[in-house]
Amino acid sequence: MSLETSIIKIDQELCTGCQRCVEVCPVNAIQGKPGEPQTIDVERCVVCGQCVQKCNSYAPAFEEGIASRETKLAERGLLPSVKEPLFAAYNIGHAEVVKEGLVNKDSFKVVQCAPAVRVALGEDFGLPLGALTPGKMAAALRRLGFDKVYDTNFTADLTIMEEGSELIKRVTEGGTLPMFTSCCPAWVKFVEQAYPDLIDHLSSCKSPQQMAGAVFKTYGAKINNVEPAKVFSVSVMPCTCKKFECERPEMGDSGYQDVDVVLTTRELGQLIKDAGIDFASLPEEEFDAPLGTYTGAGTIFGVTGGVMEAALRTGYELITKKPIPNVDINLVRGGEGVRKATVQVGDLELKVAIVSGLKNVVPVLEDIKAGKADFHFMEVMTCPVGCVSGGGQPKVLLETEKETAYKNRTAATYEHDAKLPLRKSHENPDIQKIYAEFLEEPLGHESHHLLHTKYTPRG
Amino acid sequence: MNTFVVANPNKCIGCRSCEIACAVAHLGTSVATAGAVSAPFQPRLALVKTPMVTMPIQCRQCEDAPCANVCPVKAISHQGDRIIVDTEICIGCKTCMLACPLGAMDMVEEYTDGEKVYQDGLKVSLGEEGTEKEKVVAHKCDLCKDRPGGPACLEVCVAKAFVLVQPQSMDTSIKQRRAASVLEIARSR
Repeated sequence: MSLETSIIKIDQELCTGCQRCVEVCPVNAIQGKPGEPQTIDVERCVVCGQCVQKCNSYAPAFEEGIASRETKLAERGLLPSVKEPLFAAYNIGHAEVVKEGLVNKDSFKVVQCAPAVRVALGEDFGLPLGALTPGKMAAALRRLGFDKVYDTNFTADLTIMEEGSELIKRVTEGGTLPMFTSCCPAWVKFVEQAYPDLIDHLSSCKSPQQMAGAVFKTYGAKINNVEPAKVFSVSVMPCTCKKFECERPEMGDSGYQDVDVVLTTRELGQLIKDAGIDFASLPEEEFDAPLGTYTGAGTIFGVTGGVMEAALRTGYELITKKPIPNVDINLVRGGEGVRKATVQVGDLELKVAIVSGLKNVVPVLEDIKAGKADFHFMEVMTCPVGCVSGGGQPKVLLETEKETAYKNRTAATYEHDAKLPLRKSHENPDIQKIYAEFLEEPLGHESHHLLHTKYTPRG
Repeated sequence: MNTFVVANPNKCIGCRSCEIACAVAHLGTSVATAGAVSAPFQPRLALVKTPMVTMPIQCRQCEDAPCANVCPVKAISHQGDRIIVDTEICIGCKTCMLACPLGAMDMVEEYTDGEKVYQDGLKVSLGEEGTEKEKVVAHKCDLCKDRPGGPACLEVCVAKAFVLVQPQSMDTSIKQRRAASVLEIARSR
């Protein structure tokens, strides 16, 4: 797969041209006349997959004059065992690649799952919307044959160390402000193509997925005593754009492609079913230490406002050297749209903005271009309420149930955070250990090499 | 008089949400996401798409239902305000399908909890051993008889293309038409 290949597609045989996808596309990348099959402008598309979530135009059984289900499954990169209905808008899948990789006895197979996967995966096995299943997810991954079940939440904590330090540096030493979060690859692609002159505002931090990729094939290979070349690194994401991100040519600082294959939450569900694993009856298992150890701050990356809240929990304590009065920062929580808040951090009155739903960021960016921005730090997530509503998440069939699904997944994320013994990234003992043993310090030489990146103006 | 649901072709955008809502409402199990669906969708209304017009077709719940009249095993009956197929009795003869003036009667393989149902009687002859044969039954709109909120198609449609026609609403509509006629006649004098 290359960046030139589109990841999101519309099946011309199935699209009825109802244009409901056009309404949710944040970048007007879907083209066509009403009543006719639509097409996607690959340059413009930010690969968010919201069209995939929206589409209801399925392939009826025994429809005449269209390619067979077997042909369509193969075209889409789906496993032949997939039973669910096929819709016009879809993303290319990679479960077959992972299935093949997992039977290779010579490789060392590692996996990471994004925070939002554990609050939605169960839905595809008939569990209630927003069921919280980190333990079953870890158990399923182990049964699929992964040697180490690591976690993106660990590198979400790592991201906070790096990004928090970067923000403090920009504020105190005078760097480009406001600083933008860089975890959401659709948002990053959007800045690169629509606002290239604002690229310097993006944090230089790689996303947690890519930090994990770079760490697994370096530090991870070292502690497991395996050759980096033999590490087969899979990530499971609520996101279709993570497939695009992992293929970016600069994502190879480990000396190899940092993340080999990205699966969506839905594709992991299909792989688990294909292996005949009864998800609902699995026991609760732990992630593998050290690269699977995480705090509540890491897990809230999956919801809008979560990266901001996690950064504030750590930033506050790094700057003031005192414990934060209240770990739950309700000011930055919420739903779709733009929120602004001011947080007193020692002597600093830190002003932040949180944007959820990519369309909503345009007026804010115009303000920044006009020099009217009055804040230091902005979190942007492309999908409606953050990654829990991502394009790769279990597809809610009825529009009338979407709100409940998003609400429950968000609530489960905060519940998970509240119940974890540690809730601040800098208190994660294995984060402290990786700095002591390998990375030295945030923004240090090794961090700079492995965990930070550069962006490309496009178009 | 019977109740029925009818779509307005001028409003329908052809998104198939009604078909999915219908199929999900009749699964018998609670299914919220696509991945949890293991059997093909079997909606009881069908989107018709021509270059000129798009709209779903579903049962009109005929008063003197031809499907029921022709059924040789009396599997189709009038119940309350609608016409219902009893799939336990149905032998899959397809006569109802031929009799339906709208094309609203379908024949489908029966599924329970995502698994195909096989029939008790006739087997597929395959050499010496007979193998199970799937059960095929008549399939039509039942106005979501087991759904507390009523017809699911109506609720999910973003274009608000459906109308639930009930005896009272029919009566109101007729009275309005009569009133309009009176005004029309009065104006022309």
